[in-house]
Amino acid sequence: MILRTAETVDAQRELAAIVGSENCIVDPAELRVYECDGLTGTRVRPLVVVLPASTEEVAGVVKVARRYGLPIVPRGAGTGLSGGALPVENGIVIGLSRMHRILEIDFENLRMRLQPGVINLDVTKAIAAHGYYYAPDPSSQSVCSIGGNIAENSGGAHCLKYGFTTNHVYSATVVTSDGDVVEIGSPCSDAVGYDLMAALVGSEGLVGIVTEAVVRILRTPEKTCTLFATFPSTDEAGNCVSGIVAAGIVPAAIEMMDKLAIEAIVKSTGVDWPLDVGAALLVDVDGVEAEAEHTAAQAVRIARASGALEVRTPRDERERQLMWKGRKSAFAAMGRISPNYYVQDGVIPRSEISVVLREIADLCAREGFRVANVFHAGDGNLHPLVLYDGRIPGQAHHAEEVAAEILRICLRHGGSITGEHGVGADKAAYMGEAFSEADLESMNFVRCAFDPHAIFNPGKVFPTPRLCGDRAGAYVPHATEISEQAGRG
Amino acid sequence: MIADVPIREIVVPATVDEAAEIMRARAARGASVSFMGGGTDLGYGNSPERVDTLLKTEKLTRVVEYAPSDQVVTVEAGLTLGALQKTLAAENQRLALDPPRSELATLGGLLATNGYGPLRARFGTLRDLIVGISIVRADGTVARGGGKVVKNVAGFDLPKLMVGSLGTLGLIATATFRLHPMPERREWHAVATRSLRDVRTLCRALLDRRLEPSAVVALAEADACATYVLFEGFGAGVESQGAKLREVARDLFGGDVSRVDAGRGVDAAALAEGARTYGNVRLRISTPPAFVPSLEHDILAPLRSAYRECRVVLYPTVGATFIGGFPREGDRFVSALEGARAAAEAARGNLVVVECAEPSLRERIDAFGALPDSFPIMRRLKERFDPNRRLNPGRFLGGL
Repeated sequence: MILRTAETVDAQRELAAIVGSENCIVDPAELRVYECDGLTGTRVRPLVVVLPASTEEVAGVVKVARRYGLPIVPRGAGTGLSGGALPVENGIVIGLSRMHRILEIDFENLRMRLQPGVINLDVTKAIAAHGYYYAPDPSSQSVCSIGGNIAENSGGAHCLKYGFTTNHVYSATVVTSDGDVVEIGSPCSDAVGYDLMAALVGSEGLVGIVTEAVVRILRTPEKTCTLFATFPSTDEAGNCVSGIVAAGIVPAAIEMMDKLAIEAIVKSTGVDWPLDVGAALLVDVDGVEAEAEHTAAQAVRIARASGALEVRTPRDERERQLMWKGRKSAFAAMGRISPNYYVQDGVIPRSEISVVLREIADLCAREGFRVANVFHAGDGNLHPLVLYDGRIPGQAHHAEEVAAEILRICLRHGGSITGEHGVGADKAAYMGEAFSEADLESMNFVRCAFDPHAIFNPGKVFPTPRLCGDRAGAYVPHATEISEQAGRG
Repeated sequence: MIADVPIREIVVPATVDEAAEIMRARAARGASVSFMGGGTDLGYGNSPERVDTLLKTEKLTRVVEYAPSDQVVTVEAGLTLGALQKTLAAENQRLALDPPRSELATLGGLLATNGYGPLRARFGTLRDLIVGISIVRADGTVARGGGKVVKNVAGFDLPKLMVGSLGTLGLIATATFRLHPMPERREWHAVATRSLRDVRTLCRALLDRRLEPSAVVALAEADACATYVLFEGFGAGVESQGAKLREVARDLFGGDVSRVDAGRGVDAAALAEGARTYGNVRLRISTPPAFVPSLEHDILAPLRSAYRECRVVLYPTVGATFIGGFPREGDRFVSALEGARAAAEAARGNLVVVECAEPSLRERIDAFGALPDSFPIMRRLKERFDPNRRLNPGRFLGGL
């Protein structure tokens, strides 16, 4: 239950004065929308949701929060799957959706300056006609926002060749927990000092609020060749992935779908993929035309040699888009074959795919669950979907336990507990299994350097609540720091 | 000596555990510690205030784990890039990084200084290649971040944060990198550009024609400028790109394009490396790529006149320019450097001193220039990792 003390009423009034009462949500019915993000199983009602329209308004909100000691949870489009935007009780949610302008397109330097609420796909749409695009392409790209992508270091199918959000952001304007506005990074190739962008991207809302970002745009490749191949089982498909990589090809994407995933996608989207197969791969290779065609032909040969049942190449761009639509709608398609599903996101070394898929299948069979797999095979980023029926008492919880066990399998094989969905609230408990106390302490150093007050997104990422208490020993300042020569330049 | 500062003690641990033990012991007696890999960039940054202990990583040279089928390798920090590349070449793979003096430079040193070469144009810097790290913190605690898989968002990105931190946050003990396949073919081409304006025009044309060079390098003299373009990949792609480059160059400059490589008398990579390592005072200038045509007038010409002899090399698609040489007498060089730095900073870039082997100059110039907006955060980061300021004190930006 949320307490409406006189103080919180004052805080709400001050917040409304900054963003306008129409952008300051306190009504319980309206707050319900913000109770969770893409991790829908966990809900918390915040004290208030504010929707600022400018950097200054964000800074104003943070200052009010500091004064009243209220925690802040930043929120982009709310599509995150790990509960990164899960509110804190009696806390403020800052929604960045109203800050959705593209501020500058700089084709000369291949950069774009964006507000955080710009939808991922809209970045590419704004420049596609000129022959450019923005590379990170999470499957939710038609609805997720750049600010959220930066917080989560979002990946996508094509990060195998082109990297993740962290490889595509030069600089950002950030509101700190003091309510200060600072520029982090540089629009140039090398920023001086520590690489704070490295800490910012993927920090899951724990270090500050990005109110502007300069991202890198790329020239659209001259040619993209796509192939879709089916296999008797995930073993042959896995061998094909290894074969393509061993041949020295760096594909733009290699996605794998198993039998159950294919069935769901066919039922949901109507693509004409065969149902009597054990696995399918969707592969993109791109680059200059001669290179792309050469590598595509080679990939087809490798697929056949690996035991492909059928290899298809799209006749035209429309057919190619359809294939990708099938893949990208896979999670949503699960509704066709199961009342509920639990999406897992784990990573393993690519060469272990076949072994790990079998372990996961055995685990799920033992526990009485069906599991569908649709994932980024090129970089070993698994997305097992544990199918369950939430109407059966206890099944949801049981499915979650099985999903957790899948993470432990990934860790045993030298992998990671998350490849792109983030730790958030969902996986904070497993960080202690993936990292030592010293590792976590070092990460907390980074967080505390940005947010010594620990007001941003408390309870996320770290397995146990951590404050930024006194440091061991007093810091000895440099002479120039004392004499203020080393002030801000 | 490091940057003219005497060293009181040198230690050479044989294992990471031993390094941690040393770090703990030095913490107990409050000794400052600096780190040294291959010693190729010891002049980078400001002079440390003191060097009580110099920890050399020359015995930390193990390849800890190499999984060719996963295209990932974990190494100890003291391994040289050259030695690593040899190991990887046996599996037809490479770390896509080509800084100068790779036979001497160690991975730890390259990480600490953010070393890179022409391949940055396509593959980025070490921050784009590193996926995991272990460090020994100031108090001797071993901590790690990232992992050994390429895709990983679990926790804060310590590996990238350590890149370019110049030994001020901890000892880089081991690192894990993603690898790339060795290209089937590599071809350097020389294009007859005459000025930096031409270089910029060429870079735009490459982009417009959707060519994908692995590197573009320009060697700029005061009144001449040669550009070298590297294509890599399978034979078919490399050949077609070479043919298109010839068309582009003919249309733009009327001149021809010649294949150049070590076997044909001109080694573009060696030329570029020669320019990168020339002289005893070297600067790195970062600007937006579109600023390249203005570089000569605004920045390079005044600097050239302050050097007795110098060489300039650019990675024009990246926006990185290096000038190195033997400076004229102090006053003139200092004021030229300050003017050039102001011009770079006005273009939202920066100018960093990456080598200064002139003691008299070293006292008079700051290696990094204006402090960024975010400096208070950097200072707090340093305070957290090294509360007693014992790691390479004073060497980095703003006295960190």
